[in-house]
Amino acid sequence: MADKKTRKASTKKDEPAKIEVVLFKSDTCAFCPRAEEVVRRTIEDFGSDVFTLKVINVSENPEAAEEFGIFALPTVMIGGMSVTGIPEPDMLMKMVLGAKVMTNKKVVSK
Amino acid sequence: MSDHDIERVKTGIPGLDELIEGGFPRGDTILIAGKAGTGKSILATQFIYKGATEYNEPGVFVTLEEPPHLIKRNMIRFGMDLEKLVNEKKISIVDLSPSKEVTPVTIGEYPSFDLSGLEAIILNHVKKLGAKRVVLDTLSILAYKFRSRDILREEFFKLTANITRSGVTLLLTSEIPAQQGGLGVFDIEAFLASGVIVLYNEKISDTSRSRSIEVLKLRGSKHSSRIHSMRITDEGIRVWPGEISPGH
Ligand SMILES: Nc1ncnc2c1ncn2[C@@H]1O[C@H](COP(=O)(O)OP(=O)(O)O)[C@@H](O)[C@H]1O
Ligand SMILES: [Mg+2]
Repeated sequence: MADKKTRKASTKKDEPAKIEVVLFKSDTCAFCPRAEEVVRRTIEDFGSDVFTLKVINVSENPEAAEEFGIFALPTVMIGGMSVTGIPEPDMLMKMVLGAKVMTNKKVVSK
Repeated sequence: MSDHDIERVKTGIPGLDELIEGGFPRGDTILIAGKAGTGKSILATQFIYKGATEYNEPGVFVTLEEPPHLIKRNMIRFGMDLEKLVNEKKISIVDLSPSKEVTPVTIGEYPSFDLSGLEAIILNHVKKLGAKRVVLDTLSILAYKFRSRDILREEFFKLTANITRSGVTLLLTSEIPAQQGGLGVFDIEAFLASGVIVLYNEKISDTSRSRSIEVLKLRGSKHSSRIHSMRITDEGIRVWPGEISPGH
């Protein structure tokens, strides 16, 4: 479900490859609002045209959490990697760079 | 509520109900502890299977360890066709096993999270089926998955309370590490649960082992305080209430 959508979004050929950042949150999660702030600000600092941010509210869409095996919230997922808890911007940067290297490699190897 | 009023949930394990005044107290959290290979997963799956087939109680089996296709394959050997029950919407098997390929690799954990994701996943299935039984196999995986012990403890209390709130009976399994006492890797297992059952498969001679089962505690119940023989037969797990285990 959510999987197919995300895969499609990140592999469309005719668009410049955008890095997808996924934030899993819930209605009851006390740390989630803060995590969302940090993620949004980090993305802006990095240049928001490079990213698409997808926020998944697990209270409304528990199937997405099940599909990706997400137990703990908040969790931020970037290119097959994830961090749990309110992330430090440095960690997000690292993940983003990792994801970039991956997409560049894919382009080169075509 | 007096002991007399406690509603009992039949375990579906022949012989076990006799040791515990007729079954698990409804809505309780029961811990099944034991070393690897002692039969925790089989017992827990049988609880779900029999609940759906004999007691009209739909169940949710949440697997954090074995992938569903292996669980189905193992249980069909006992004549328990889980696939059929899934299709009939009498049970669901929730795959949270590590074998799922889309699960992202966790590269960081900050001590500011809760388990509301896991809770939402489980309660979604409970609601859809009108489930009366839930199994979480196995708790020990969570202890390996997350480093923040204090959060885990607190969150797990919340999780078990929220699952059992509506009268769902919850079975948790916990693996006792090979060279260790205690009831698991958490150190909180016994507190979490209002009932604790321990499974053994002890060496009784150089060439043989013997399976047994012990009810360590059970809320509001005059349970047996002996260690009883248990076997894994062609029809699943069976307990012999009259037989005291030779290994003990
Ligand atoms: N069809 C069977 N007949 C008899 N014993 C079995 C059968 N299938 C599995 N077993 C026994 O059950 C054990 C596994 O039980 P399981 O519930 O998976 O253990 P665990 O406590 O690790 O969850 C095996 O090691 C084997 O000894
Ligand atoms: Mg097991």
